[in-house]
Amino acid sequence: MTTVCHLEPDQNAQISRLGGPPGLMRRLVALGLRPGAAIRLVRRAPLGGAFQIALGDSFIALRAQEAGQIHLELS
Amino acid sequence: MAALATARAERLLVTVGNPNVGKTTLINAVSGSRFEVGNWPGTTVDRLSAHCKLSGRSVEIVDLPGSYSLAATTPEEKIARDELLALKPDLVVDVVDAGNLERNLYLTLELAEMGLPVVVALNLVDEARAKGLTIDADLLARELGLAVVPLVASRGEGIGELCEQALRDNPAACPLVAYQPCIEAAVEELGALLEGAPERRWLALAALSGETVRLPLPVAERSESLRQKLEAEGVDPFLEIAGQRYRTAHELSQRVLDRQQAPPQLTEKIDRWLLHPWLGLPLFLAGMLLVFRFTFLFSDPWIEFVGAVQGVLAGWVAGSALPPVVQSFLADGLIGGVGTVMAFAPVLFFLYLAMSFAESSGFLSRAAFIADRVMHWAGLPGRGFIPLMLGFGCNVPAIYATRTMEDFNDRLRVALAIPFTACSARLAVFVLFAAVFFPAQATAVVFGLYLLGLAAGLTTAAILGKLAPTGHSSGAMELPAYRLPTLGLTLRQAWMRTFAFIKGAGGSITITVLVIWLLLNVGGGKPENSLYAQLSQLLVPVFTPLGVTDWRLVGALIPGFIAKEVVIGTLGVSYLGSEPVAALGLMDGLQQLGQSFLTACWAFLNAIPAMFGLPQLAPPAPEAPDGLAGALGTSIAPAGAMAYLVFLLLYTPCVATVVAIRQEFGRRWASFSVFYQLLVAYVLGLLAYLVWPS
Ligand SMILES: Nc1nc2c(ncn2[C@@H]2O[C@H](COP(=O)(O)OP(=O)(O)O)[C@@H](O)[C@H]2O)c(=O)[nH]1
Ligand SMILES: [Mg+2]
Repeated sequence: MTTVCHLEPDQNAQISRLGGPPGLMRRLVALGLRPGAAIRLVRRAPLGGAFQIALGDSFIALRAQEAGQIHLELS
Repeated sequence: MAALATARAERLLVTVGNPNVGKTTLINAVSGSRFEVGNWPGTTVDRLSAHCKLSGRSVEIVDLPGSYSLAATTPEEKIARDELLALKPDLVVDVVDAGNLERNLYLTLELAEMGLPVVVALNLVDEARAKGLTIDADLLARELGLAVVPLVASRGEGIGELCEQALRDNPAACPLVAYQPCIEAAVEELGALLEGAPERRWLALAALSGETVRLPLPVAERSESLRQKLEAEGVDPFLEIAGQRYRTAHELSQRVLDRQQAPPQLTEKIDRWLLHPWLGLPLFLAGMLLVFRFTFLFSDPWIEFVGAVQGVLAGWVAGSALPPVVQSFLADGLIGGVGTVMAFAPVLFFLYLAMSFAESSGFLSRAAFIADRVMHWAGLPGRGFIPLMLGFGCNVPAIYATRTMEDFNDRLRVALAIPFTACSARLAVFVLFAAVFFPAQATAVVFGLYLLGLAAGLTTAAILGKLAPTGHSSGAMELPAYRLPTLGLTLRQAWMRTFAFIKGAGGSITITVLVIWLLLNVGGGKPENSLYAQLSQLLVPVFTPLGVTDWRLVGALIPGFIAKEVVIGTLGVSYLGSEPVAALGLMDGLQQLGQSFLTACWAFLNAIPAMFGLPQLAPPAPEAPDGLAGALGTSIAPAGAMAYLVFLLLYTPCVATVVAIRQEFGRRWASFSVFYQLLVAYVLGLLAYLVWPS
């Protein structure tokens, strides 16, 4: 088990579980980040701190704290 | 307001959809640009609506804020959800991104559960095609049981068919998602309690998911116990319901979608550069500089032109046969007041252009993504960077630019930090004083003041963040595809917002200028006897600890409330006496107006190359009446001058900024910023006087 924070660029994974406060979880699910969804890390932000991930046909930016709440299974 | 408007139109339509899918563009196309902008009542979320005639029937279309779901995870989504339930529209136009069908269908499935009549506007078909996606719209329509209209809203393609659909009496959509038996049973039980409400299925599902929806008390209690029962059985109703909607959306999109291999998209190619590990930062800074320059270089010639018009009008007044007091009232009070308001119009117009371009093109999200790290130090989101930076040009547009932030607390904190940043009006005073008192270190002094202002602002934001931790302001956001905004829509929106400023803020600003005019002119005769001089002398003891003992310096801070650069003019008048305004004949005035207009046009054209020039770091040469520098040099010691500058930098924002804060955040916060900044300015001014070597 790992989180988005530990992915390498271009690595694929599947979301296994969402942590964090309920408000954050709802926001993530609304953006499409739900358990079972397949994601790929595109890159880290140029100054670090944030992550860009690809999810289906969209790109999503996450801060480190939020990325750390998305638990993954590597595929 | 909405209720009033619906009473007039025969048919009420609302657009709903994810952010950035072209809802506003669609309304613009359907209504032929006849839209109005404003705020949702009690909020500062933009509200856009249009009245138009379609085939002779009057139609009102309301643009609901962009939403990913109706679970109300943001203030915008909450408005969209509440208005959908309250407005009872005749038709919901669900704008769907054809290139991101699965996630967009999630919202469609939710809408279908609300029991509202829905038509699907399948927009961005051009972009989807470029991605190698083909959607069988007829099949999608059959699967959903809804009308589906493929569109390219930005080019007007498919709008005709959408207008036809808009006038049909579409039946209410039928729910399409089948949930697990245990959830269906709970929904059925709650639905029975809500008999008669067309949206009962959606309401029951929302209540089970633990969302805050308004329900009769017995139903709310029952749903809570059902929810707990499900959780005890090991089912998380929220994740189960959302998960099933996503599964249904996925299956649907699989059936109607044909995916061909496509070359990398423009968005990915641009991101490879803009978000590049090392090139990202310099490109980001260059982009910020461009936004800043666009806003201020293009507006500057028109601000000058407003000043020239004021000058000509004052000249005509001086040439009239009116008594001097009336002349002064007209020229300095009325024309001055209206001129102060009008001088903000160009800068706001270009700011709105820049911001709406940045937002709907997709650049703003990237800027926020990069700036997040920097702003994090003050506990602020990345989107706060642009407003803060704009503050260095002018605080007023910067306050309005905070609207691009989602969370109210975050916006407020940035807005309260902005007035501390040294705007260009303050720069004029800094360079004058620096040249007189600190000629050897003029640049360092001016630069130091900029840093002090920024530090005071960021500290304020950080402290307020500690006092009132933000709710769930999340940095999670979509990075949308880069898209070219349509020029007409962008211009019209910018113009309407600028007009809204003039209407909303113009009165208060003009009145403030008039009050200050009165203060300066009552009890005239000798300047020392005026009410203004007396009041200034009363204030002198307050400023003595700061080393400022000349009433003229203290007094100039009062009209400085109009705009901080006014301080120089006031000092000029009180040290050197006022020069009479030269009278102008009608023809001379007209000729001057024409000339200033041509000058403005020429300067405007010259702003285009200037946008891309290298930044100039040295402060400009001081501009002040002859002799003022000498008079100032003898009226105060350097340490006092330093304290005066620090005070001037930080004290009460100018009236237009205060009015902007009032419009965006309410009276309480506007007063807070006035008093808080006075306090900070006084304390730091005192410190500056004490530590400055004299
Ligand atoms: N290529 C393309 N761009 C579009 C289309 N519709 C809208 N846009 C662009 O998409 C961006 C977002 O549009 P906007 O109406 O502001 O979206 P909203 O947030 O849903 O109101 C703008 O730059 C539009 O010009 C379309 O059908 N095709
Ligand atoms: Mg819009």
